[in-house]
Amino acid sequence: MSEFGDDAGLVERFPYARIDHDNKYMYRGWLDKRLLVNRCEDCAVFHHPPKPVCPRCWSSALRPTEVSGRGIVHLTILLHQGPPAPGVDYAKGPHPVVTVELDEQAGLRFTSTVVECPLEEVRIGLPVELDWVDRFGSPFPVFRPSTGN
Amino acid sequence: MARNPIRDRVAIVGLGSTGFSRDAGGRSSKALACEASIRALRDAGLGAGDVDGLVGAAEPGGPSPSAMSAALGLPRVTHFSSPTPVAVFALVDAMNAIFSGACETVLLYFPYLRLPWNSRSAAADPFRRQNTLGVMPAPESTNAAAAYAAWASRYIHEFEVPRETFGRVALNARANAAQNPLAAMKAPLTMEGYLQARMIREPLCMLDMDVPVDGADAFVLTTTERARETCANPVVVHAASVGLVGENDEDQLPSLARHGQHVVVESLRAKSDLWLDDIDVFFPYDGFSIITLGWIENFGWCAPGQAGRFLEEHWDAEEGRVMIDGRIPINPHGGSLSEGATRGSGHLREAVTQLRGEAEGRQVPGAQTALIGCGGFFFNSQGAVLRRL
Repeated sequence: MSEFGDDAGLVERFPYARIDHDNKYMYRGWLDKRLLVNRCEDCAVFHHPPKPVCPRCWSSALRPTEVSGRGIVHLTILLHQGPPAPGVDYAKGPHPVVTVELDEQAGLRFTSTVVECPLEEVRIGLPVELDWVDRFGSPFPVFRPSTGN
Repeated sequence: MARNPIRDRVAIVGLGSTGFSRDAGGRSSKALACEASIRALRDAGLGAGDVDGLVGAAEPGGPSPSAMSAALGLPRVTHFSSPTPVAVFALVDAMNAIFSGACETVLLYFPYLRLPWNSRSAAADPFRRQNTLGVMPAPESTNAAAAYAAWASRYIHEFEVPRETFGRVALNARANAAQNPLAAMKAPLTMEGYLQARMIREPLCMLDMDVPVDGADAFVLTTTERARETCANPVVVHAASVGLVGENDEDQLPSLARHGQHVVVESLRAKSDLWLDDIDVFFPYDGFSIITLGWIENFGWCAPGQAGRFLEEHWDAEEGRVMIDGRIPINPHGGSLSEGATRGSGHLREAVTQLRGEAEGRQVPGAQTALIGCGGFFFNSQGAVLRRL
C-alpha cells in the first residue's frame, strides 16, 4: 500500500471514488472522520461538490472547511437494486439514499445513506446528524436520525 | 422575441429507423446505425456523395462519425461531430453546421445498444461486456439516472400526489406503443399492473424508467431552400434550444421550480412564433416518468404539481391514453418508456413522421406543428418546435 497521504494512497483508500485535484481534500478529511466542504475565503459561500473556483465570486481562495453534518433530509431514494458495496445487501431490503440540506447554508446538500433508521422513517424533512461507517477499510460519512443534542 | 435567424431555415428531408427491440441479436451498434442511415438517405433520395456533414450522438459503444464515414463510403465530409447523447444536442449541431455553411447536407444518426450495466442479457454477451463504466460508484449517489428517483421523492413530498400520477405517464406510453410498429413494448398495461411492477429506485419502479433497447434512428437535414426543390414533404425546425442552470450537480439543483427545463422553455418561448395553442402533437421526454410531468408543467399546460390532474382531465378512457382537449396526443409513438430508450431521437422521428402525415393509424389529422421537450432536469434539457413547411 502506498503512503497514507499521497495521491496513489488516497485512490487505494477510496476504490469507489473518482478522485482528482479538486476533491482530494474532501477525501483526505474523511480519513480523519471530518466532513470538509469547500468554502470561499473571499465571499464565505460554501459549495459542493468541490470545484476549482468559487462559483459565486470566482475566487480561487477556497478552504475545505469542516461542517457539522447536521441537516434536514431533502431528497430520498430507496434502492431496491444498485451498485454493490460492502454492508449493502439488497436481498435483505432496500438501501436508503438521502440528500441532506446541511445546516450551514441553504441549498448546500450532501448525499449519503442513513443508518439506525427504520425504512418507514426515511422521509423528507427528517432531521439528521453525521456518523461514520467503515467501507473498504476507510471511514465513510453517513447520516443517522438526529438525537437532538 | 429573441434573435432566431435560423428559424425555418433548416429542413428534415429523410427519416430512417431500424425499429427497436429488447435484443437485436448478433448485430453491432454500427450495423444498426448503418441500416437506419441508409434508410434515411434512400428516403431523402440521396446518395453517399450528397452527404457532406455527419453528426452522430456519442452513445456508449456507438460508432464514431469517422467509422460511419468509412462504413458508408462517404467520399467527402466537411463537418462531423459527436454531440453528447439526448437528441436535440445533435439536432442543434447539425442545424448550425448547415446554416453556417460548414456543410450542406447532414446525416444525423443515433445508435442504441443495451449495455452491460443496464441489461442482464447484455452483461452476458462477451462483446458487450467490453463496455465498462470504469470506477464502480458507491450506491449513495444521485449521479445521473438515480437523481430522477430522488427528485421524484421531492415532487411527491411537495405536491402530495399518488403513484397513479406517474402511472398515467407509463400507461399512455404503452397504449400508444401498441399502434407503433417500431416499438419494443406493446403488451397492454393496466394501472394495477403498473402499481405491482418491481420497485427499482423507490419511488420509481421499473415502468417509470425507459426500456433499454437495440436499434437506431437516422435523419437527413439540409437547407430549406434545397428541401423545397428536392423534397415533397419537408419539415422545418422553427426553433430549438438547450438549457442549463449553474447549480446543475444533481443533488444541488435549486429546486423543482428552477432547472434546465425552465431555461429551455424561456428560450423557446422567446424564439418561437408558435406556442401551445398552435401545437398539434406534443413530445415531453420520458426517460423517467417524472421528467414528463416536469415538461407538462414547465411548458405551461398546467400549474406546478398539477400534471397528474391534467393527465386525468385529458384522459381518453376508451383509448387508455391522453388526448389534450380531445385532440393532442402525448408521445404517440410510445416514448422512451415503451417504444424504447432512444434518448429523444424517437420523439424527434415521430414528430417528423406526424408532420409529414405518414403516421398511419396513429396519425393526428392535419398535424402542422409539433412541440418537443427533450432530456431531463440537470445537464441535458432541450426542446424544439417543428413545423410542416
